[in-house]
Amino acid sequence: MMKARCLLRAPYSSSPLVSSTLHRFCKPGNKFASQNHTLAFSSSVSSSSVSPISSSPSPLSSHHKPQVPLFLRPPIYSATLSDLTNFFNWGKTLASSVGSSFEQIDNGPDATLLLRELKWFLDDAVEDSSLILHLGTPQNERFLSMEVRLRAGLDQIYQLWKQRIEERRPLQYIVGCEHWRDLVLSVEEGVLIPRPETEKIVDLVEDVVGKCGVLREGLWVDLGTGSGALAVGIARVLGKSGKLIATDLSPVAVAVARYNVERYGLQGSIEVRQGSWFDPLMDLEGELAGMVSNPPYIPSKDISGLQAEVGKHEPGLALDGGVEGMDHLIYLCMRTSTMLKPGGFFAFETNGEKQCNLLAHYLENAAGSNFRDVSIVSDFAGILRFVTGYRK
Amino acid sequence: MMGRCRLPICLKLGGIKLVGSLPFALYTSSALLCRTAGANSLSLPPANPIADFGRRTWPDCKFHCQRITAFSSSTGDRIGAGCASDSDSHRTEGGYLGLSDEQLMSQCEMETFKASGPGGQHRNKRETAVRLKHRPTGIIAQASEDRSQHKNRASALNRLRALLALKVRRPVDLDAYSPPIELLRILPPKSTVRGSECGPQIKANNPKFVEGMQALLDLIYAVNGSISDAAKFLGISTGALSRLILSDDDLRMAVNELRASKNFLEAVFTVYPLLMLVFGENSPSGSVDCLLEDGTSDS
Repeated sequence: MMKARCLLRAPYSSSPLVSSTLHRFCKPGNKFASQNHTLAFSSSVSSSSVSPISSSPSPLSSHHKPQVPLFLRPPIYSATLSDLTNFFNWGKTLASSVGSSFEQIDNGPDATLLLRELKWFLDDAVEDSSLILHLGTPQNERFLSMEVRLRAGLDQIYQLWKQRIEERRPLQYIVGCEHWRDLVLSVEEGVLIPRPETEKIVDLVEDVVGKCGVLREGLWVDLGTGSGALAVGIARVLGKSGKLIATDLSPVAVAVARYNVERYGLQGSIEVRQGSWFDPLMDLEGELAGMVSNPPYIPSKDISGLQAEVGKHEPGLALDGGVEGMDHLIYLCMRTSTMLKPGGFFAFETNGEKQCNLLAHYLENAAGSNFRDVSIVSDFAGILRFVTGYRK
Repeated sequence: MMGRCRLPICLKLGGIKLVGSLPFALYTSSALLCRTAGANSLSLPPANPIADFGRRTWPDCKFHCQRITAFSSSTGDRIGAGCASDSDSHRTEGGYLGLSDEQLMSQCEMETFKASGPGGQHRNKRETAVRLKHRPTGIIAQASEDRSQHKNRASALNRLRALLALKVRRPVDLDAYSPPIELLRILPPKSTVRGSECGPQIKANNPKFVEGMQALLDLIYAVNGSISDAAKFLGISTGALSRLILSDDDLRMAVNELRASKNFLEAVFTVYPLLMLVFGENSPSGSVDCLLEDGTSDS
């Protein structure tokens, strides 16, 4: 049912690396193997037997060429303002026709939201976005025949908006970027679109290193970095001396994360390694000053009911957390105390209050009292979302 | 004891109902009152600008009231009421604007769109608009232009600072008045009270303009809306002060509202005793919680 989309999308899907990685997911006897064997990636929690294939730098990740976001593409296309107005009117009508139907089906966006997205789409597609203000208003003939420079052909612009509405393809994949915190990150199919809730983790890290300069100087890790959002956000907070390693299982994510790291000029501070969780970090056991992660935490049974933009387009690898949604979170917690140095800090994002409570309980009791100051922090919407703490 | 301490006016007039029945001519000078013109009923019109005006400002000020029974018309006497001082944060140096972003944010309730459902990884609905409600004053600021909630949070906070400057008035002691540094910084260099250590003039597009704007409004309020009086305190010509006020739309509107409300009060207080006579026992009761002053005309 759910494919490991990120792997299949890669041009090298028949390579031994990929098939053996898939194989590893379905390894029987794995404590966390999902009951549902079609979920190929739910059992990556094993730390035993199979040697980590991906701990060495993978040559494959450099094969994926990250896509350039729309707003960065050269404006080599053009259309008249009149044509653009026609597109805008058509796009508005299409968005309005949705009404609240998406919302009713799967809590998707309503027409108002889609209209806002249409404007954002045009912001990125049109070279001079101030012209967009004129699109709805009556203009004289001369103005309407004015040529407007575009970053995509008008045909493609029509096609992309059609995809938005008919296929529920996320806007962020259409424009190839997401505005997150004070950043604009490149994203594409195969990479999780960074969520606004996750912005808070950067604030938490900023507080922590503000209070403890030693942690600011140490090595930080972003596990399952996706687009590299947390890595870039945190590196900017750590400052000049900051050092961070970002890991991800998906070669597409690794390529995109590297691209975002370069775009923000942080190649000197951030290294992106491909592999499963701690596998690429075995040389650093006990040395980490800080560890953050937004691991997949959605319970498997909830995946099919997700809003189509998420469920049908974003990588299941980044969403599915197993039966309770906690497979990866528990695994991370199991290894956190040995990976962190004494006094090291961690922050994990979860599905909400229930998972936070379970995780905090686990950290305080089962993990051999290795942690202190375990806290549950809420996100900006008031939902208990993050578990943080320090290694003793 | 209180000298010439000027008080912010609370327009919680018991005579609100009075407004509806005043002849139109009496308040054409005040833009605030246009909407209530012709309303004959004694119930409050839904969006009563006077009531709103009263509700939006000065909630923390305490002062005692005087029921107006007599008017002094042209002697220039100012009748002041006592000004109880609170130890609220806005009495401290810089007031609310002196708070850091974090501190100010902690006084606010932030509303992002009330997400239905679990949020986080489940969701891709970018309702990035942010609304901040400042609990101590009830002032609301919002921002929705940016595609990132983080940026909208920052914008909303800046907007809140501007609104606090525009709406929250602090008392000023005219007897011993010395313009605070943030006000000096927004004055033109030729001001006689501005020293060279103030640096270049901070203009309306600069975030620091907001603090100066607040202090300027406090002063203009204290001199009863008289631009010429305020200009004297600031060592610049009336024209120069007018130009400064016109350089920012929000500032211009706040000054105009302030001056209009002064005209309104004059209008009300000349009519009040008349209506007492006309309506007798049926006149709207309730104390008039405000400062009485005669009108000294602007030069």
